[in-house]
Amino acid sequence: MPVPTYTLDPVARAICAALGHQFGGGISQGAFKETFLATKTDGSKLALKVLRQGCSTERSEREVDAMKRCAHPNIIALLELADFDHAGTKYTYLLESFMEGGTLDDRIKSGLLNRQDVLALGDELIRALAHIAEKELVHRDFKPANILYAAAGGEAMVGDFGIVRDLRKESLTKSYLLPGPGTPFFAAPEQLNNEKALIDWRTDQFAVGITLAVAHFGVHPYREPGEDDNQAIGRVASRNGPSASFIQASSAAKLPVIQKMIARWPAERFRLPNSLLEEWRKQMDVT
Amino acid sequence: MPAFHQIGHNSENLLFDEGLSRFGGAILSPLNYAPAAVTAQIERLRSRENFVTIFDPHLYRPQSERMCLPEWDYYPRDVDTADFDEQWWAAIVENVARAAVTLGTTAVASPAIIPRAFPDEFFLQLIANGNRLETALRGTAIRPMQTVVVNLPELAAPARVMTIASIISRSRISECLLVFLGNVEPRRELADPEELKGGMRLISSLEAGGQHVTVAFSSSEMVLWKEAGATNCASGKFFNLRRFTISRFDEPSGGGGGQLGYWFEEALLSFLRQSDLLRVRERGLVSAASLENPFATSILEAIPANAAWVAQGWRQFLYWFADAELRLRNGALSAQDLVGAADANWAMVERGTPPLYMEERQNDGSWVRQWRRALVEFPYFR
Repeated sequence: MPVPTYTLDPVARAICAALGHQFGGGISQGAFKETFLATKTDGSKLALKVLRQGCSTERSEREVDAMKRCAHPNIIALLELADFDHAGTKYTYLLESFMEGGTLDDRIKSGLLNRQDVLALGDELIRALAHIAEKELVHRDFKPANILYAAAGGEAMVGDFGIVRDLRKESLTKSYLLPGPGTPFFAAPEQLNNEKALIDWRTDQFAVGITLAVAHFGVHPYREPGEDDNQAIGRVASRNGPSASFIQASSAAKLPVIQKMIARWPAERFRLPNSLLEEWRKQMDVT
Repeated sequence: MPAFHQIGHNSENLLFDEGLSRFGGAILSPLNYAPAAVTAQIERLRSRENFVTIFDPHLYRPQSERMCLPEWDYYPRDVDTADFDEQWWAAIVENVARAAVTLGTTAVASPAIIPRAFPDEFFLQLIANGNRLETALRGTAIRPMQTVVVNLPELAAPARVMTIASIISRSRISECLLVFLGNVEPRRELADPEELKGGMRLISSLEAGGQHVTVAFSSSEMVLWKEAGATNCASGKFFNLRRFTISRFDEPSGGGGGQLGYWFEEALLSFLRQSDLLRVRERGLVSAASLENPFATSILEAIPANAAWVAQGWRQFLYWFADAELRLRNGALSAQDLVGAADANWAMVERGTPPLYMEERQNDGSWVRQWRRALVEFPYFR
């Protein structure tokens, strides 16, 4: 695997020097930003996100605005947002807590979660989801890679609001696009079909449902036996409904709430976050 | 929940008719009554225990249908020139909420217009109005209702039904006032099975999500809406209060339903003119429920005396509406049995010697067959 080149490395180093933090190198990079590790003098670690030049777009402004509006124990907090001049160019950077416990993706790769763990994870994610919904935001990218842990054994934290939709503002997605933004494997039908009027918190509910299903069963719930993931995504887009084997398995595992979370239409899912949380917790009482 | 009275022109007498006391609520009409009259109606209805009064601001066609509306403070003075933008709607919602508080109604429906077309954007606007109303009424005892106007022919497509249900269920309001706009003239029964299934599916989807649906402007097809799970259905005195069509705005404001007397016959789920009633009665096809209807006797006495019984016909139907709703609700009657029996009775009407042809060519019971279809097929309408 090629070693990624961090073009913003000098900028990140300069920011760390100015803040008195120790520079720890690059962690990840995306289309709009690069992320670096920074360590404070007290030893606590931070994720330093530097936006690429010219990428302080409306999209990234909305990401920052969304993070500022959210304040919840299961959502990664934005600690600082500022502009920084480097070699005559202005860069925007963000500081967040560094999640040392890795991602849910890492955990699933080392083994599927048992029922008890997936119930606890669901409770944490639904609480975060309810908070995001209350702020009239739609995260649109709930997936194991965006669910992180501050420490091993800690609670799940939701991060990466890069494609957040603010329902109080005009959509930034062009109506003529075939799919809307999102990660297809976890996306709801309305996201895959770019049905903008149907995007609301229930779109995230679908993605959380897929995430929980994958974490426990290891397979996309719309995937029929003998099919691949792309076919499962096609089934989601066509609103075929979850596979019979998933319905059977989730019922047997006493996790029927996931079935409703991943229903084909938003109207068939839980209408209110509190109802979802209530029903999820009823499952927790079932042994 | 009991049946609701859809108030229209000159409906006050029926609202307070002792024989129609089974109605548990009324959808008030600022279109037909000025503020003082509606205030008086509410005051008088307050003595009835648990009686629900719903204030529908009736802005469906504000440019053309005005009548008493200009007498209301919430009615926009700039309706002919307005852009209907967010700011305009926000002011209307605030004023409607204020009017409801002043009146002291049980509930108030969010403002809605009848659009030229029904894109997603229209439903999002309805939700925005509903959510604004919910905010405006916080801290008051008045319940907000989310008005939903749907074009019934569009509901023949299952995906459209679920799209609309998905948008409407975004509303923070847990009660909906559902208005089906259709092309079928008020006198005729709804008979397109796909549209009926779509309407039923929409109701059942909203109810399943915890949004209680009151179907406004309904007629005998109330049987289907109740089967789909509708919490309430409302009907009124005239045919144009039992069906919502664009043509209603073209009708003269005075009459509303013509001056012919109609008997509603449960055994056929049909409105019968006088000669039809007499011939159906001869064949022994008048149901026990119809004969027990307290307004039936006066109609049957009026006929030999050549007395007009139009007004008794209104009462006879409204009594049936509230009574059948009650029987459907408490399980004394099932929609399948009711529609199935009507289908069988229409077969007897056709096969009798001689066959019995109703005065109106279209009064042939053909809709009953479609209702049977809708009843069995709607759970699979997806």
